[in-house]
Amino acid sequence: MSEIKDDNIIEVKNLKKYYPVSSGLFSKVKYFVKAVDDISFNIKRGTTMGLVGESGCGKTTVGKTILRLTDKTDGQILFNGIDIHALNRKDLRAIRPKIQIIFQDPYSSLSPRMPVGEIIGEAVRDNNLVPKEDFDDYISKVMLDCGLQVYHKDRYPHEFSGGQRQRICIARSIALNPDFIVCDEPVSALDVSIQAQILNLLMELQEKYSLTYLFISHDLSVVEHISDTVGVMYLGSIVEYSDKKTIFGNPLHPYTQALFSAIPVPDPDIKKERIILEGSMPSPANPPSGCKFHTRCRHCMEICKHQDPQILEVEKGHLVACHLYPSKIRS
Amino acid sequence: MDKDKMDKDRENRKDKIDRITEYTDIDNGLSDVQRVKVLSPGMLVVRRFLRNRLAIIGFVIITFMFLFSFVGGLLTPYNETQVFRYIGTMSKEYVSVTINEEFRFTVAEGMSYGNAAHARFILAKNRGDSVFTHNDDEYHIIQEAEDFYRVVLSEPKARITYIRGVMSVTPLENGLSFDEDVQNAIRQAIETEQTSFIVGEEQYTLTRQGRDYVLGTIEDVAIESLLITDGVNTNKDLGFGFKLALEKALRSGDSLSFQFEGDFYEIEEDENVASVYKVTGSSREQYALISQMAVQAISPDVVLTIEFKTALEKAIVDGERKFTYPDDAGNAIVYDINRINNVYTVKTETRTHLISMHEQPSSQHWLGTDKHGMDVLTRLMYGGRISLMIGFLVVLLETALGVVMGGLAGYFGKWVDMLIMRIVDVFFCIPFLPILIILGSVMDKLDVDPQKRIYYLMLILGIMSWPGIARMVRGQILSLREQEFMLAAEATGLSIYRRIFKHLIPNVIPQLIVLATLGLGGVILYESTLSFLGLGVKFPFASWGNIISGVSTAYEMTNFWFVWIPAGLLILLTVLGFNFVGDGLRDAFDPKMKR
Repeated sequence: MSEIKDDNIIEVKNLKKYYPVSSGLFSKVKYFVKAVDDISFNIKRGTTMGLVGESGCGKTTVGKTILRLTDKTDGQILFNGIDIHALNRKDLRAIRPKIQIIFQDPYSSLSPRMPVGEIIGEAVRDNNLVPKEDFDDYISKVMLDCGLQVYHKDRYPHEFSGGQRQRICIARSIALNPDFIVCDEPVSALDVSIQAQILNLLMELQEKYSLTYLFISHDLSVVEHISDTVGVMYLGSIVEYSDKKTIFGNPLHPYTQALFSAIPVPDPDIKKERIILEGSMPSPANPPSGCKFHTRCRHCMEICKHQDPQILEVEKGHLVACHLYPSKIRS
Repeated sequence: MDKDKMDKDRENRKDKIDRITEYTDIDNGLSDVQRVKVLSPGMLVVRRFLRNRLAIIGFVIITFMFLFSFVGGLLTPYNETQVFRYIGTMSKEYVSVTINEEFRFTVAEGMSYGNAAHARFILAKNRGDSVFTHNDDEYHIIQEAEDFYRVVLSEPKARITYIRGVMSVTPLENGLSFDEDVQNAIRQAIETEQTSFIVGEEQYTLTRQGRDYVLGTIEDVAIESLLITDGVNTNKDLGFGFKLALEKALRSGDSLSFQFEGDFYEIEEDENVASVYKVTGSSREQYALISQMAVQAISPDVVLTIEFKTALEKAIVDGERKFTYPDDAGNAIVYDINRINNVYTVKTETRTHLISMHEQPSSQHWLGTDKHGMDVLTRLMYGGRISLMIGFLVVLLETALGVVMGGLAGYFGKWVDMLIMRIVDVFFCIPFLPILIILGSVMDKLDVDPQKRIYYLMLILGIMSWPGIARMVRGQILSLREQEFMLAAEATGLSIYRRIFKHLIPNVIPQLIVLATLGLGGVILYESTLSFLGLGVKFPFASWGNIISGVSTAYEMTNFWFVWIPAGLLILLTVLGFNFVGDGLRDAFDPKMKR
């Protein structure tokens, strides 16, 4: 967290998102599901941050909260220094095109009754981003950039394959000329050959349009391919955060270690030590006391059961939340 | 040799590949450019719909119904409410004859004597009084005969004191004197306790006042009699004097002739009927008819002649059941006489315009006529207009209401959803038919115009049936709202208006169309049911339901099939058609349905 602040396109500070669970006739709130529990991270302009974790750990909630598609419970999200959750409706609509999202499921994220050209161009027209006379050329250019053909404009989503649909989704986001895109598992629903195409497309576009990505995925090899920095989430909290090289070269948190040991290596001669995690992730409605990971941790100590570890900078630019690593650099 | 073979092989293979690539490049290329022109989802639906045979049948039926109702109504030569008539004979009441048992009065010229005075007279007569007062006037009753009275005003002329045979007359005016004849008559009257007496031409009244008597001269006011006198000339009143003279002559018994105003009249009595003849020289002609019977024509524009009356009264007196009398053209017409208590009704076969009810199908009326004499086919056409129009407007109304309410509930959720869905629940709890029956009878009571009633009916049906649509729309929108394309639309900064009308509504429309089409059949059925029960569209307007309800008895049902079977068939076919089309649309909108 020692970066120069002005260079951060997104700053997330102590973000919390609790879902109240109510029961009974009179809607008494019984307890909260802590989907996101006190998360902080920054994303530098022009970089890609990978966010990995098991399903249900709150990755997608973080993404949606950054876009204010869901309301936060506590904390702050700054986009270019503007608190997104403090904007009124008019200002929010004005800033919306700058932050985009690409969803996991390319089938449900396109309205089935709209031709592709309309899907991509609708918001451009509604937000008056391009003069009317340039509109057609602009949409054509965006489509070509995203690997679509111009004659696709008049077709409907049901005529496209999954990969092409995902290209349409990307084109819809790109057309608004955003600064920041949340990629919410954009390749998980695609088969491997298409995954590579889409990832390469995303990286090309990043260069061309100088985009910043928050890349949410549970696929570590994909994250390794695309990310500059990586955050590892477990049960609503970030347990380890660093740049890609450091974290893949030297994972410190026991959870990260276990996660990374599951990456398949395409070499049958290499014998890898596989760390098997026992049990499944506890419910975020009733998280364990102390370190949330202590129920499944092989290095579990007494202190872990009582005290929640702070996320501390263990090496330069390498933050870990674990009692095994007392902070070496005091800042 | 081996090498040669390999070369040849290689060449062959190369040839083959070339050919294949050529072939694929030209015709079966998988590139996008080669693909067939693709269809929009709407066109795909139309295609799938057209492939569905049942749906096409339904569509044809509905098209036929529309042509039948809207074009047919223009082509038919008849009107919706045109009544067909023919000329025929029917037995009709012509005259009623009443035996008069009430006193009727005739007022003298220049006198006022009304119904109130008449009532006082009846009271006094029944009590046996000879004097009654009305409006400060003192009227004297003089009984001339049984059931014949004169009502007179008396002017006091003298006071008479009479004690044991000694009588003194004191004139009330100076210079007035009474001769001996009068004095004797007074004495006689007092001794015989009479209240009136005649001396010469003058008639006097004698009223007791305490011990004294008052002598008065009389002035005629009215006569009260049970007999009814009709003149030959119905326009001219016979006059008080004539009636008085006639009745007096009739009651006197011996002389059946009298003189009045210089003319000489003769009475010819025949039991209860008496004819009066005016005698001029040697000839005589009928002048009046007097009897206890009141003869009245049923129709006010029929004028009965005195000859007819005389003949009829004689027939009644003779106790005849039939009676013949020639009409103006000289044809003998037979009249039936029926007696009920004191009233005789006389019926005759008359030729009039008759309504051609329940006429069998013919070349003029292809489906015959109904009980109002209207052409059934024409009414079916006009009824179809109303039934179809009500169906469409009601569905339009209920869909509009349902989309707005369901859309609000689905999109805004929370308490809005809660409120609207509870309203929907309440509507689902209301028993539909009883409410409609109540509203129908309320409209009956308020005497609502049949034309307006149709609109009210549409309004009521629409308001009652939106909840189903609202529930469907809400469900759809709830599920669509969570779809990622809605999140994406929000993220791209689209306005709420665009999000609702460009993203949500188009995705609800397929289900909406299906529901509305299926609902159409239901509404038409409901309208028919209500009209059949007499609560919906009212006569004279036709609807298929009220055409059927025109047949209400087993006799009509078995004999006049042409009235109700076609209407029933039209309802059946229309509802079936709408259901076929609805099913077809549902299948067509569902891409998973492949046949």
